[in-house]
Amino acid sequence: MILAVSLVVATVFGSGAFLVLQRDIFRVVVGLVLISNSAFLFIIAAGLTRGAPPILSLPEGEAVSDPLVQAMALTALVISSSVVALLLSLIYRIYTSHDTVDLSVLSEVEMRDAEALEREEDPEREEEPKEEPGQEELEEGPR
Amino acid sequence: MTGSTLLVLSVGLPWALAAALALLDGRRAWVGWLAAAGLAASFVSTVALGFRVFREGPVEVVMGGWPEGVGIVLRADLLGVVFAAVSVGVILASLAYEVLVGVRSRTFPALILFVAAGLSGLCLTGDIFNFYVFFEISMTAAYVLAGYREQDYQVRGAFIFAVVNLLGSVLFLIAVAALYHVTGTLEMQAVAEEARDVNPNSLITIAATIFVAFSLKLGLFPFHFWLPAVYVGSHASVAAILSGALANIGNYGLLRFGGYILSEELRIGAVAVLILGSTSIVYGALQAVSRHETTEVLAYSAIGQVGYILVALGIGGPIGFSAAVIYAVVNSLNKALLFLVARLRGSLVGAAFAVGAFSVAGVPPAAGFVSKIAVFKAGLAADGVGWAVALVALIFLGSALSFVYMFQVYQRLFLAREPQGSYPKEKTSPRAARALVIALAALVLVVGFWPEPLLVLSEEAAAALTGSTGGGS
Repeated sequence: MILAVSLVVATVFGSGAFLVLQRDIFRVVVGLVLISNSAFLFIIAAGLTRGAPPILSLPEGEAVSDPLVQAMALTALVISSSVVALLLSLIYRIYTSHDTVDLSVLSEVEMRDAEALEREEDPEREEEPKEEPGQEELEEGPR
Repeated sequence: MTGSTLLVLSVGLPWALAAALALLDGRRAWVGWLAAAGLAASFVSTVALGFRVFREGPVEVVMGGWPEGVGIVLRADLLGVVFAAVSVGVILASLAYEVLVGVRSRTFPALILFVAAGLSGLCLTGDIFNFYVFFEISMTAAYVLAGYREQDYQVRGAFIFAVVNLLGSVLFLIAVAALYHVTGTLEMQAVAEEARDVNPNSLITIAATIFVAFSLKLGLFPFHFWLPAVYVGSHASVAAILSGALANIGNYGLLRFGGYILSEELRIGAVAVLILGSTSIVYGALQAVSRHETTEVLAYSAIGQVGYILVALGIGGPIGFSAAVIYAVVNSLNKALLFLVARLRGSLVGAAFAVGAFSVAGVPPAAGFVSKIAVFKAGLAADGVGWAVALVALIFLGSALSFVYMFQVYQRLFLAREPQGSYPKEKTSPRAARALVIALAALVLVVGFWPEPLLVLSEEAAAALTGSTGGGS
């Protein structure tokens, strides 16, 4: 059983790691999902016991299965699904502004920006005044 | 107020306020100030809690009214309170700064509060799984914050930040599950006690996994690759939070897990920790010297500064741990000050930057001197004359290099006749924002002139680590 569980965890983690190393950032996120899932399997495996359901009142003199690992896996599942949702929205944002999800293209853009930085231009300062023309009415307070 | 009320307030207040403020438009100034007020209240309650813990010992609350040993524990000892107070203080300064220059996103104040809630929670929890949950709360909010202002390069930075740190979180989660498997409990004290009887062979793997997870968050040398890309792009106040407050997850986590729960494994792996720390110091300093852009220099400097904390941790014992605490606290203040001041212009801003630069380089009037001295002392206490000499030489070299790169930046920003960069010199920044960074700089100076409270605090905090595990090395 231990061997089977560890093989499954290793396979899921390995495929996840393979996908994380791909060029397509969408695959990177899918790889992260797989890697997090291997962690959940690992949590469940950490307290894998056979027994009665752990609901009060507990049966006398009988083994009870460990409820804690399931609670942990559930919590971690919720966290990871929300982070994945956030990552997907970031991908969408990157896609709308760069028209690509290919890492090699993105890193070319990154290099260009880095060169701009070397010339000591500050892109944030330049672009700030353009965005959100309705700023003034919101900034009455602090002055 | 009782200690347990203060403890619940410190964690719960920013949390509840964050949930409420998420519904409001954060761009309005009053929402920002409401968030700042809530954060200030949480800061005050953490400091009050700190006084109580200092006088009366650790405070413990079992959540949900469960009997002890069943429910989840919030536990404040001095180490946790010190890190919680520093992190929340840095976040408060950054939030006030951002409200003064103008918030540009609806969610900004709420996200900041979530980061603060997560950070104070993880410093004050007594349960390793809750530690994970709290740091995911603050990390997730930080992923969004890294993309604040939504420039293309910032969104790309946020993506890199989220992917790399999610991997780190998963590694930590695996280590938590493994610790639960070998010790059968999640409560920190119980884990630390049980871990002493477990075969170190299985624990050393877990310790290494935890070390890698926290090093990824800290941006330590072999795991630093993501850090410059994120710090350089992000907005000043966000960069201050990332390197001044969020990095404390790594500092505190390494101290708590390495110095307390797995202290025996830290002792076994001390040489590896020392070597990684030394490499980080040299690598960060050399890269920082070769860079031009201010934030880039600061990012590489952050990699180098983490190295000192790691060296202190590797030396271990009461001296090493208290040096690590001092260094982490002072480093948080320095980084917050420098990142906030770097984009401001106007009178006295140069002076504030100079104070931060002095502090990073460890020149006497600033707080950095105190922390460098502490690490020096720890270096002298290292086992064996060879190690001691090598470490002291290394720390000296690192300080000299940091002096060079900090003043290169200072020259370029404030002394050059033609101000380089597209930001014209005539346009001075809001007076209130300048007043804020000058106050931060004054705080750095005060800590440098009157270091006794910090020294006593760090010694007591280190005693909280080593005392209960029987004295360390």
